[in-house]
Amino acid sequence: MGSSLSRLTEKTNVWPWLLLAPLGIYMLIFFVVPLVDVAIMSVTDPRLSLVNYERVLTGALYQRVFLNTFLTAAFVTVCCLAVGYPLAYLMAHSKPRTAMFILLLVTMSFWTSFLVRTYSWMVLLGNNGPLIALLQMIGIDDTPQLLFTRFSSTLAMVHILAPYMIMNIFSVMKKIDPALIRSAESLGARGWSLFRHVYLPLTAPGIANGSVLVFVICLGFYVTPVLLGSPREQMIAGLIGHQIDEFLAFGMGSAMAMVLLFITFVILTIYHRRFGLDKLWG
Amino acid sequence: MNTFMRWAGILVTIFIAAPLVIVVPMSFSSASSLQFPPPGYWFGYYRAYFTDLDWLIPTWNSVVIASATTLLTMLLVVPATFALVRHKFRGKSVADLMMLMPLAVPHIVMAVGYYSYLGDLGLVHSHMGVILAHTCLSVPIAFLVLSANLKGFDRNLERAALSLGASPTKTFIHVTLPILRPGLIISALFAFVQSFDETVVAIFISGRNAETLPRKMFDSIRQEADPVIAVISTLLFFLVLVGIAAPYFISALRSRVPKPSRSPAGAH
Repeated sequence: MGSSLSRLTEKTNVWPWLLLAPLGIYMLIFFVVPLVDVAIMSVTDPRLSLVNYERVLTGALYQRVFLNTFLTAAFVTVCCLAVGYPLAYLMAHSKPRTAMFILLLVTMSFWTSFLVRTYSWMVLLGNNGPLIALLQMIGIDDTPQLLFTRFSSTLAMVHILAPYMIMNIFSVMKKIDPALIRSAESLGARGWSLFRHVYLPLTAPGIANGSVLVFVICLGFYVTPVLLGSPREQMIAGLIGHQIDEFLAFGMGSAMAMVLLFITFVILTIYHRRFGLDKLWG
Repeated sequence: MNTFMRWAGILVTIFIAAPLVIVVPMSFSSASSLQFPPPGYWFGYYRAYFTDLDWLIPTWNSVVIASATTLLTMLLVVPATFALVRHKFRGKSVADLMMLMPLAVPHIVMAVGYYSYLGDLGLVHSHMGVILAHTCLSVPIAFLVLSANLKGFDRNLERAALSLGASPTKTFIHVTLPILRPGLIISALFAFVQSFDETVVAIFISGRNAETLPRKMFDSIRQEADPVIAVISTLLFFLVLVGIAAPYFISALRSRVPKPSRSPAGAH
């Protein structure tokens, strides 16, 4: 490898390929082939036909689950934005110590495993949890069932995915030149109009990045909806898992997986054309 | 707008923080089920965790799998990153994009693929199977971190070493590697955490033999919500805290800047 470095000249074209080869071969065998396997299973299990796709795309149950997944992902994205924007603003525009504290908190949340955060919400929303106790304290005796509902899974997903949104918006906000805001003010922009016409457009790239990331992750979310959601309102990933785990229906599971993959790719391709995919996770 | 943003920000801070800290008192609870605030405090569930093989074996499995995944990931990613950052060649932009592909595929889709594919190879329910699968998922993350580091590398340092007569191999070992070390460590750490936390693929392919900690936690939460999970959550929480705080402390100790210099965060 050493001599590859010295040949910084781009004359020899074998080196990059030699360095890339191990990874390329590995990913071909253990990433591409399993994916192709899913595609093949979707049209061959139980027999060679498109019947799985027909059922996935026309069956009432599957349509409902896809629609539910879409609406949930959209709702979670909007909530993450509503939650993330003010916090990113606070991070970008408060004293270094406060900003540091919030940044630490968001980073902590980001690095804490999905499962741990899901479990925390089970404690918070459980029948013996603090939220129910609070409701009873203010006199609501007929407390609603919070856990294992659409409410609990949505809330937890917003909490889990919010750091992606916050980090993306924050990284844009902190780069905004204060001179731009000052000059807008000197030209008479105040309050809402300053925000609407100057600040918001400047932060739009962060909003776009964060929203795409949250939406795409949410579309394929398995753990939290399965553990916290209502069994009657499954999301697509949960249903795929169900098909594989309970029914060993690989054909149906694979067909659904391919549709999910297709939708994800369409969204990311549109994003890639406009902004470049490398910026999404960078 | 400013005051509104401020109050909204404070509320959101509580929303973000509450679920992170609530597991700590829960882990010392004496209640046998989810109950908050706890009726009493003791260390019983810590003892339960550290003496129960049903929890210790998955923990050990996760450590082994994540370590092996990290090693394999770095062996594959380091040369590839050098190729992609330092060389220009035809098809480079496609290769760049391919590196990120595993991030774009939902884990449930990969889980279906691995379940069937590793089954065919006879690797399902084995450590090796999980390691091979996790490596694919860790590759893009390790690559993103390392390539960012390598792009910021000042190549004049290497040129200086070479011009002073060091061989390319010596230059790599004595100049390139030491400068790149922080990037390599962080990149490896990301790969490790990615594997250690990965749940969906592990649920489907790790089985009883190679059961990982997240899989065990998932099953436990689904069935009975064993309070031991609060213990593990607390331990993981503090691991993350140490992991995030450590670099600050180390750099603070190293530099020992006495005067409170204006931090870059306050530069606007």
